[in-house]
Amino acid sequence: MKSVVVRPERCVGCMQCMIACAVAHSRSKTLFGAIQEHPKPSSRIHIGAGLFREAFPNRCRHCDPAPCYFACLPGAIFRSEDGETVVIDHGRCINCASCAMVCPFGVIRYHQDVFAPPNKVVAIKCDNCMERQEKGMVPACVEACKTGALVFEDVNVTLAEKTAEVSRAASAGIVEGGKEPFNPMNVLNKHREILESLAKN
Amino acid sequence: MSEKEKYEELTITEDGKLMLKKAEADGIETVWDRYKKQLPQCGYCELGLSCRNCAMGPCRIDPFGEGPQKGVCGADADIIVARNLGRMIAAGAAAHSDHGRDLVEVLRNVAEGKAPGYEIRDEDKLRRVAVEYGVEVDGKSTQDIAKELAYAMEEDYGTRKKALTLLKRAPEKRRQIWDKLGITPRGIDRETSEMMHRTHMGVDNDWANLLLHGLRNALSDGWGGSMIATEVSDILFGTPKPTESTVNLGVLKEDEVNIVVHGHNPVVSEMIYQAANDEELINLAKEKGARGINLVGLCCTGNELLMRRGIPMAGNHLMTELVIVTGAVEMILVDYQCIMPSLGHIASCYHTKMVSTSDKAKYPEMEHHEFHPHNARELAKKLVREAIENFSNRTPGKVYIPVEPIKLTSGFSVEAILEALGGSLEPLINVIKEGKVRGIAGIVGCNNPKIKHDLGHVTLTKRLIENDILVVDTGCAAIANGKAGLKVLEAANMAGNGLKEVCNLLKIPPVLHVGSCVDNVRILVAVAALANELGVDMSDLPVAGAAPEWYSEKAVSIGSYMVGSGIFTVLGPMPPILGSKNVVQLLTSGLSEIVGATFAVEPDPEKAATLIIKHIEKKRKSLGLPYNELV
Repeated sequence: MKSVVVRPERCVGCMQCMIACAVAHSRSKTLFGAIQEHPKPSSRIHIGAGLFREAFPNRCRHCDPAPCYFACLPGAIFRSEDGETVVIDHGRCINCASCAMVCPFGVIRYHQDVFAPPNKVVAIKCDNCMERQEKGMVPACVEACKTGALVFEDVNVTLAEKTAEVSRAASAGIVEGGKEPFNPMNVLNKHREILESLAKN
Repeated sequence: MSEKEKYEELTITEDGKLMLKKAEADGIETVWDRYKKQLPQCGYCELGLSCRNCAMGPCRIDPFGEGPQKGVCGADADIIVARNLGRMIAAGAAAHSDHGRDLVEVLRNVAEGKAPGYEIRDEDKLRRVAVEYGVEVDGKSTQDIAKELAYAMEEDYGTRKKALTLLKRAPEKRRQIWDKLGITPRGIDRETSEMMHRTHMGVDNDWANLLLHGLRNALSDGWGGSMIATEVSDILFGTPKPTESTVNLGVLKEDEVNIVVHGHNPVVSEMIYQAANDEELINLAKEKGARGINLVGLCCTGNELLMRRGIPMAGNHLMTELVIVTGAVEMILVDYQCIMPSLGHIASCYHTKMVSTSDKAKYPEMEHHEFHPHNARELAKKLVREAIENFSNRTPGKVYIPVEPIKLTSGFSVEAILEALGGSLEPLINVIKEGKVRGIAGIVGCNNPKIKHDLGHVTLTKRLIENDILVVDTGCAAIANGKAGLKVLEAANMAGNGLKEVCNLLKIPPVLHVGSCVDNVRILVAVAALANELGVDMSDLPVAGAAPEWYSEKAVSIGSYMVGSGIFTVLGPMPPILGSKNVVQLLTSGLSEIVGATFAVEPDPEKAATLIIKHIEKKRKSLGLPYNELV
């Protein structure tokens, strides 16, 4: 089952995902239209800055079990039929912020939204771009991401690739730029040489 | 979607569609492929809301209000958008003006006898322009006049003057507006340099002040650098006269040595032209089994050769890669501007030799042979010889020229238009007064994969001539219209009755090719002349401009000098200004009170036509001419 998988080491902080997400959740679905809408559409993905000024894409993990689901007092949060997406029913949301209090990741925000009842501030979070997926499109953030920090695939596939990368990195006998291949015997021989020269003195 | 359909989405041209199919089969990546890979493009940059001017950044402003609303320095959206637009104008103005500078250098070298192969072909124009520059012409030799003119033009580029010389061609009213606004351009390089200064962090942080200087910078191009380029080109290479030729990939010949010139400056292409007509070299070609040497052009340098010598045109901006894909080109010589860095690599898949000629413009996988006034003639011959030697490297099965060339008429300089009118503007003014010709529209500019290739130009032009509006065109737009068969006398049948009558009477097509992109100044000169004749300002005339498929910074400068000179201009692709409501408001509405004209943005050419038609009728009404009330 495909989902949006985050590879934060690839994020360069360009924030295209934020623009694409906001546009995808607008009425007009175009950038030039979206910036003129009221209420302004908001991004559901948020880029934060780490300790070393590196970028981190922070999106809803659609946890299972989801703390927000259990915290929601009016029962506005529910799970989609395929189990993949935790969804907020904006009609039921009473803006009590209980969901945000329990969310360990801080991915819920409070705004007026074009798809919520008018003039009502509600809890807004990632909806896995269900509307787009129904049309056979990938989530907007994934489409915008040029570095592959956000990909749309089975998380097990992503991790299998990571295993392959790690395995290759651990290979003994890798030659790097003119250096000798790593041979454990060299270390032992060097150690013996050092011991012998110490014994002589 | 069927195979043919996907190419039909990209271009309206037959040769384009067929060549795209071959490109895919040959495994060639085109500009359209690279455009697709770039999608979706950066939203911040599209809105003009990103700034990389200093190392406190890079900064961006969040158009949705969640993120930062100011850059690190404190610049808000208005300032950032204005600065970015200002730099686009500076870059475009610099390109045109440098092109002009190179021509002035040749003029000086000709005067000093240091440019074999170059000469003064229009002595009359040399004298007329020299007089405009205050050069004494009586009793002086051509060489001396040329030298003094070159010196005077070099002055226009500098810091000494308070106003550019050729501004005198504009109506008094227009010059007063510029003076009052403080935007009279003083020096060509000066205004560009000042724009770079003003857009440095912590200099001009008043968005409106900055945009006014943008107008001045653009005017220093239109009435300065570009105008000098066109006038000196006419002096050196001849003022264009109506000439017949052909356009599209079919101008390439299977049985001849095909040499293509691409880029902008006739300094190089005119020398290639001479070499391609050298008897010794033609004989060499015949020895190698070719029937002769076939010189064709791409883009603006092609336009220059077409206007002056009737050299056929292979294509416009989006066709430059596809011309190589024919497998029929022995050599492409490029100088500068609008030459995609992808060309060298594409050519390496075929036998085509790519040659760069300008010290200012080197490209990947191209051989560099630098042209200068003193060595140009000999170097041109040497390179044409190499092209001929390359003819035997053609792979017979791989040559594909699947279309027949389309005829067109070119060469309508202002001088030629005047001659067609019988020596004065009277006939044109009369038919405009009567309403047989409602007005004039200049369709100019480039191609852009964001707009279906040539659709913008051709659709807009057709709608306008159907509504009795005479169209003059330049650059890539002119090639698009030529390919669509709009530049032959028979095209008058596509025009409305009024325009058709006038075209048949004067024996001109309804769409007049006035030249390359620097030749947009011919439109300025014509509109200024009309305004002077009628005793009105340029902004009073029933004229408009359009760049339906623009892409380059040069186009931003051109659009800005057109609007700054009082000509309403409609753009196809959206410029990066939507991030600032204030800037949008000024450019599309506020400017009308300031310079008497505005920009409009309309990617749909049908709707753009409506905007222009309405505008022209409105101007007719204001002038007291018979008009149509349109809602």
